[in-house]
Amino acid sequence: MLRESMQTEGKQVDVRGVTQGFDSDPDIPHAAALIDFTEAVVLRDAMRTEAARKTLRAVLGEAGFVDACAVVAAFHGFVRIADAIGIPYTTAARGSDLPELREQAGINEFYRVRGER
Amino acid sequence: MSDTSNTLFAGSDLAVRSDLVEAHERAWAAIAAPGTWLNGEQRVAVAAEIRHARECAQCERIKAALSPNAVPGMHESLGKLGAAQVELVHRVVGDPGRLSEKWSQTVLARGLSEGEYVEIVGLIAMVMMLDTCMRALGLPERALPAPKDGEATRYRPAGARKKAAWLPLVEPEDATEADGPMYPNPKAGYIYRGLSLVPQSLRDYWSLANCHYMPGEFVYQFDKSIRAIRRPQVEIIAARVSALHQCVY
Repeated sequence: MLRESMQTEGKQVDVRGVTQGFDSDPDIPHAAALIDFTEAVVLRDAMRTEAARKTLRAVLGEAGFVDACAVVAAFHGFVRIADAIGIPYTTAARGSDLPELREQAGINEFYRVRGER
Repeated sequence: MSDTSNTLFAGSDLAVRSDLVEAHERAWAAIAAPGTWLNGEQRVAVAAEIRHARECAQCERIKAALSPNAVPGMHESLGKLGAAQVELVHRVVGDPGRLSEKWSQTVLARGLSEGEYVEIVGLIAMVMMLDTCMRALGLPERALPAPKDGEATRYRPAGARKKAAWLPLVEPEDATEADGPMYPNPKAGYIYRGLSLVPQSLRDYWSLANCHYMPGEFVYQFDKSIRAIRRPQVEIIAARVSALHQCVY
């Protein structure tokens, strides 16, 4: 979905950055602040979240900040449905996440894929 | 961007779009109400266990272990749920990326029905979303609601089949009128079908999730954002959350 949304804007993204960190600016507005905030929330790091929240609210404004929070939260639900129900991952993004994309992104090293090899 | 007015969560001065606040209200009311396989009291007990699981030492040991299914010990539970329910709640909350079909079968073999399993997963997904949203916003978690009286409906869709996933799903073509509305269109993705064994859980979940991410009709419209951030900004958050959870989907 990230790749598709970037392509729509005429841009490319190195999908490895999603699992391994981005070597360079992924050309998404305020990407560093978004990633820092996302990681802080997922890792339940209260101090880091507070600092990242301040930064994100300043750069996105209130409405953008609220929507960023909503998306972080949404995926705490999605991942649990997908992983607990055992939805076939080959159907992700309507099957557009091809094996080579999963390899490139480092997803093939995830537990579930390794377990099925 | 969606055209919605703003309102406030109780105790906050942050302007929040009103559809999001309303979705939270609806979700908590649904959690407290009798479900399909669990009554209101059991559902609120599951919600309490979900919150409790975040502090479980056994979950920490499992998370740190190379082999998550070989860690001796017991989860620290509140004592209101059965052992299989506790295992389901704690593992799905604490280490969802390292679940397996074999593990799901052992949970079911311990006396949980498939319907209960799916209903509990739906509750986990909702409570995690609700609580994470408040924590991200910098607001306190909401107190758990008082359970509502009433009986579970015990409805199982006639078209449910175990085929593509570890648990039975109702494919869009197998949904019946008796199931009630489930899918926005016949091509609804598998993530949408995940809770379909319990149609009410599916409806409750998506009523909440659509307000956090986006309704299905916008998901593949990459040139359009109905939110106050651009689509790549939405997707980089989504991808990073998924990667940190080792979610392949």
